[in-house]
Amino acid sequence: MILIHCPYCDQTLPELEFAYAGEGHIARPTDPSALSDEDWERYLFIRDNPRGRHHERWRHIHGCGRFFNAVRDTVTDKFEMTYKAGEPRQ
Amino acid sequence: MADAAIRTAPVPAEPARFDGVTISLGLPLARWSLRGRNPQELGNALGLPVPGRIGETAGGMACLGPDEWLLRLPEGSIIPMGEGQPLSVVDISDRAITLIVEGDRALDVLSSGCPRDLSKLAVGEARRTVYETVEIVLIREGETRYAVEVWRSFAPWLHLALVTAASHLPE
Ligand SMILES: [Zn+2]
Repeated sequence: MILIHCPYCDQTLPELEFAYAGEGHIARPTDPSALSDEDWERYLFIRDNPRGRHHERWRHIHGCGRFFNAVRDTVTDKFEMTYKAGEPRQ
Repeated sequence: MADAAIRTAPVPAEPARFDGVTISLGLPLARWSLRGRNPQELGNALGLPVPGRIGETAGGMACLGPDEWLLRLPEGSIIPMGEGQPLSVVDISDRAITLIVEGDRALDVLSSGCPRDLSKLAVGEARRTVYETVEIVLIREGETRYAVEVWRSFAPWLHLALVTAASHLPE
């Protein structure tokens, strides 16, 4: 089983307590009505989907409940690091 | 109509006894879900000690997350509701029941379905986690006594899973 470090609990815990929550660091546009349909589509649906190093959100849903960010390699499934929500992209 | 409401327990009132472990229904409790940005603020509003570290407990209150606490007190207890303050104090007394898993083999029974390393759970520690597929809050109340908080509608299945695990303990 994959073990994931929760930066809030400061514990390394089984994946079963966590939920994946999509690509990280995607900021909601501050004024959605000013966006073109194409830009809105890009915000809602278009993701980088890289092979390798991926910044993504996880939630410790069956634990402390918090969202946080992680860097995971999409080839090896190895977690490079996790850090608290709001901290700069690593 | 409220007068006619009868509380029914979703699991048998009779404890399930096995060699080394007993699984029983805990007493009804008053429960609150507490949310706030600052433990100090919450403590001042409630007049209660608030544990500051995730997993810590103090006086019936468990810190579940960085801004979330579970308070369990004897049935009928009343606490201030924090009116006018940036806090959330929600009565969830009947949302959950408590199953008590107690005995020398309690850790074995709980470990059979929980992915955490429960041997590291200290006495007095409380953690939200899962047992099989069910979300629980697990509180180690004593050396060999654990309280399992589970949402009422999941309780019959969880009880069955615990009883099944207890009846299949290896020698
Ligand atoms: Zn956590």
